[in-house]
Amino acid sequence: MSKDRVSRRQFLSYTLTGVGGFMAAGMLMPMVRFAVDPVLKAEAAGDFVATKQKVADLTNEPVRVDFSYKQKDAWYESDVTESAWVYKDDAGKIMALSPVCKHLGCTVNWNSDKEHPEQFFCPCHYGRYTKDGTNIPGTPPLAPLDVYPYKEKDGYLYLGKAKPRKEA
Amino acid sequence: MKWLPQDVETYSAAKEYVDTAVVPLYSITIGKGVKQSAAASEFITLLTNYLERQFTGRILLFPPFTYLGNEQDEKVLTDLKKWEESILDAGFKHVFYVTSDFEWRSREGELNGTLIWLPAIPLEQMNDTQKLTMIDSQVQQLLTIFTQKWQKSD
Ligand code: FES
Repeated sequence: MSKDRVSRRQFLSYTLTGVGGFMAAGMLMPMVRFAVDPVLKAEAAGDFVATKQKVADLTNEPVRVDFSYKQKDAWYESDVTESAWVYKDDAGKIMALSPVCKHLGCTVNWNSDKEHPEQFFCPCHYGRYTKDGTNIPGTPPLAPLDVYPYKEKDGYLYLGKAKPRKEA
Repeated sequence: MKWLPQDVETYSAAKEYVDTAVVPLYSITIGKGVKQSAAASEFITLLTNYLERQFTGRILLFPPFTYLGNEQDEKVLTDLKKWEESILDAGFKHVFYVTSDFEWRSREGELNGTLIWLPAIPLEQMNDTQKLTMIDSQVQQLLTIFTQKWQKSD
């Protein structure tokens, strides 16, 4: 047998260093990213994603909050951007509504229909929702807007996965 | 809706609501000009995808209509007219073409659909956040072109 042959022990130690190095890089990468771009880049905290919205800046007027995260799609990873309409209700509780119309999925806007102010309005087939996201009977949507669970961390708003509510 | 099996299934079941076709138009240039060709394609792809997100329930985003950069204008126009005919035959009420190819501006009159022309903005130097902001502001301007057309016909 040639001297150059890699022994079992060597082989194991090589591979383990390799795997270890790979793991270290895996741990380091998110940290580097976090250090470089702490707020702009979505940082995963469980299933919650950081937004650029400061909780203290929220009022009772809905504002659009955009946030992105990575999603594995078949074999490649892509950045997904979602939005939420966020405001504080009369009791001061945060409300984060999904802008996806429950009829066929267009993006709804706040207060954009002059004839029906202070409502969410869908430009596609004129669906409407009250401020708390309840669909208005007689317009196409049959369910209220989904709600995002949220968290506050270091003063910033974190959003989870939007959940459907019961039919109105 | 996008040109994906689940989406076209929804479209087939809700045709009366999905009455608008959006067709991206861009030329493919190989050799000199390949870079601009790719940049225009990236721009139009991002833009139309973002547009689709705003209007998911009313538009069907078609795969792009592509043609060679040095192809004869008449032939390209004839081909696109065939697309238009099939789209209208299928029951779509509105057709929008989105392009950054200047050549189409002089041909708009020969098409039934609405041509939306925007100069391609090179995105390669931008990070994701900048890209999103830029595409968002461009699309906001396009939204009214759509809603006005719809309001006239609804
Ligand atoms: S998609 Fe919103 S009303 Fe139809």
